[in-house]
Amino acid sequence: MNTNSHGQPLAIAGGVAALAVLPFLAGNAYLEHLLVLWMLYALLALSLNIVIGYLGELTFGHAAFVGVGAYTSAILSTQLGLPPLLGLPLAGLVAAAFGLVIGYAALRVVGPQFAILTLGFGAILFTITNHWVDLTRGPMGITDIPPMAIGPLAFDSARPTYYLVLALVLATAYLCHALVGSRTGRAFLAVRENAPLAASLGINVFHTKLMGFVAATAIAGIGGAIYAHYIRVITPDIMGVHNVAALIIVVIIGGRGTILGPILGALVYIGLLESLRVAGPLRMVIFAALLTGTVVFLPGGLISLWQRWRNAHRSENTQPATPTGLPSTEGGAK
Amino acid sequence: MDFTVFAQQIANGLVNGMAYVLIATGLTLVFGVLRIVNFAHGEFYMLGAYITYFVGTLFGLDYIAAAAISAVVVAGLGVAANKLIFWPLRRDHEFTILLSSLGLALLIANGGELLFGADPKYVESPFADEVLDIGTVTLTQQRVLVFAAAVVTLIAVYLFIRYSRFGKMMRATAQNPDGAALTGINIGLVHTYTFALACGLAALSGALVGPTVMIFPTIGNWAVLKGFIVVIMGGLGSVTGALFAGLLLGVIESLGGGYISLGFMEAIGYAMIIAVLLWRPNGLFSTARGLR
Repeated sequence: MNTNSHGQPLAIAGGVAALAVLPFLAGNAYLEHLLVLWMLYALLALSLNIVIGYLGELTFGHAAFVGVGAYTSAILSTQLGLPPLLGLPLAGLVAAAFGLVIGYAALRVVGPQFAILTLGFGAILFTITNHWVDLTRGPMGITDIPPMAIGPLAFDSARPTYYLVLALVLATAYLCHALVGSRTGRAFLAVRENAPLAASLGINVFHTKLMGFVAATAIAGIGGAIYAHYIRVITPDIMGVHNVAALIIVVIIGGRGTILGPILGALVYIGLLESLRVAGPLRMVIFAALLTGTVVFLPGGLISLWQRWRNAHRSENTQPATPTGLPSTEGGAK
Repeated sequence: MDFTVFAQQIANGLVNGMAYVLIATGLTLVFGVLRIVNFAHGEFYMLGAYITYFVGTLFGLDYIAAAAISAVVVAGLGVAANKLIFWPLRRDHEFTILLSSLGLALLIANGGELLFGADPKYVESPFADEVLDIGTVTLTQQRVLVFAAAVVTLIAVYLFIRYSRFGKMMRATAQNPDGAALTGINIGLVHTYTFALACGLAALSGALVGPTVMIFPTIGNWAVLKGFIVVIMGGLGSVTGALFAGLLLGVIESLGGGYISLGFMEAIGYAMIIAVLLWRPNGLFSTARGLR
């Protein structure tokens, strides 16, 4: 798949440099805040993409793990006074533990059953969070969450938080890239494409899926914790249906099974969400239409437009035309 | 344990459970016959409740007529959804169908919020305030109506699937769509009628349950979640399974809410399906393929 390998490191370095200077171009706090939200959604979407894109299973419970991470770190820092920096890995661990238990139960079934089961698990976690007032303060939410800090460096404003999340997004993107090239990642794709065949080749389908699921939930938990310490208020809504739908929309519109897709999808989502703020409830109608439209007309997501253009462009110059302009089903842009 | 309270909880649970069964039957029919997991099913339930409300308040029709009209209108909307989304996608991967039905669900729910407003509404029914005593158990007439109407509807649906020519066509399609098409069954027509039946059932349950609760545009989420839990627990595609699982869920929720904690009532129901699925991953009445 790595066809233009000589140009790729350069393009990636350019992209990272552009992301690094973005806050300086933003000029005001509002735009910087949006950049943080973009990166947060990109991080969460990248984690969801491991399940949807690489394992090929649709989960409706992902927002619940984001919430578990957010609540873990928020409760530890507000009630036990633990420094948020310690809360961050703990949030990832607790979310991964939940992911292990839930994945162990839910991954016994596949396809629609799995999707519905994760929806049920998500609803359980939401209900518990909403009603266990002693621990989570229920619908009132947790307020006054201290900001993240590393020694003297406090992530109490948008710009430093942006760099923190950007670093995590880049790390996650690199991990996904390394994963796809690794034996484990190839096992993921084999399971996605044909589970019985993968099993006959000696891949333990259940363990492979469980591993991917737990990794995704751990990243979701960390993302949730950063969100909690950045926004500094969390309510059970973070686990709600809206957030589940938002994450799925980001991954599908951007392009599942790719690394750039979820990042691009998050940009489109946050951009539209803010620019259509005047539209009120109509926003979600537009997103729903975008989701259905993308699924039907552009199954590879927005990123596949670029791949299509690149393929067409290249075939004009030197190489013979590729057989189809359709997006690759095997991982897309890597 | 006080017997009166216990009997009351069981009765409440059976009424709630019957409403779940009515929602789940449509879902399981659409899956069993057409292999479609329809996430928008709950939205048809929501539309059923709202259309009953609007027909009742705007045109001044009585409750029964309004409920019947809403079932017919929503059945028509279901046919339209099938024509626009599900029929063109029938050869696509289940992932695509699942996601586009999710898109449709969000579209209807948020479109509903836009059209109807987010504030809760009350469906008027002449039976909502009248009380009926059955032995030691006290129920409003509306809740008795929910149970009775659901039983009658389910028997009618059962007889329809079992004995009518069209029901046989549906079952043949469930067993093998290509084989059914080869024997001259019009698959497109089966799609249309199955959607009409399923969405009509969803709307009917919305119209029946509507007067016992407040309605707002996001109740579809709740309905589809309950429906799915019942369907998964009973076994996807199994109508018998939906019946047992729905009543079981209703009773367990009611007992859990009465004796353990009202707030965690829903979580208890969800925890139950997990216990069932660990024991039988494909549900209590799983069917390999086909409609039972």
